[in-house]
Amino acid sequence: MSSRVLVADDARFMRQLIREIIEPEGFEVVGEAADGRAVVEEFSRLQPDVVTMDIVMPKRSGIDAAKEILALDPSARIVMVSALGQEALVMEALQAGAADYVVKPFKPDAVIATLRKLTEKGE
Amino acid sequence: MDPVKYRNLFLEEATEHLAEMSRALLELEKDPRAIEAIDLVFRMVHSLKGMGASLGYDAVSELSHRLEDRLGVWRARGGIDGVDDLPLLFRGLESLERMVAVVRDSAEAPPPDVALLAAIDAAPVSTPEDVGDPAPKKAGARVR
Repeated sequence: MSSRVLVADDARFMRQLIREIIEPEGFEVVGEAADGRAVVEEFSRLQPDVVTMDIVMPKRSGIDAAKEILALDPSARIVMVSALGQEALVMEALQAGAADYVVKPFKPDAVIATLRKLTEKGE
Repeated sequence: MDPVKYRNLFLEEATEHLAEMSRALLELEKDPRAIEAIDLVFRMVHSLKGMGASLGYDAVSELSHRLEDRLGVWRARGGIDGVDDLPLLFRGLESLERMVAVVRDSAEAPPPDVALLAAIDAAPVSTPEDVGDPAPKKAGARVR
């Protein structure tokens, strides 16, 4: 069975790009969220296997959204999506319980390897 | 990655972002302590940085990155200085608009705005005491 992924990013461009990178590799994008509030709601509703979480989003940052999801479900697997200059924020998210991170601009192989590692570990 | 599809997505989102950024700068012209407006501009340039880097538009990603760094400082400090900081932001907006226009008109990567990058690097980070200084008359007037 394919792993179910929730993609959170305020840019349609990035949501579409992640979808196109991972779907051919057998991942199913079950939902998308464009802000830090919606991703928490969608996580509760969809119960995905993995969340890809952009850090900079409106309404609530990806860091705060990740903390809230992990408070709801400590076993949630969250991959932070970071960019140049966000190393400190990535560290904060990892310390809060995020499982891993990927960096923009995406290297497709790295994104797939990260998701595969997490989903295979959880099976 | 289908370059035409993603270029069109970039043009669509970048145009929306720059319009939002323009509205936020007008808000900052009225109130240099409008943190929500600084936060919005921060998110817009952050998003432009990511899209630009993904498509190889280095001029877009580099300028956005420099602006993002400054905005991060101003956000943490509680506002901008209308005298020194706001004109830089308006110049940044206009430069990003020109870059998006180059992509739209030529489908090519735009050239860097070397003068503006140098101006951002040379601009002093204004002190906390400067925060909230109102913009001088016509400081934000958009010269084309």
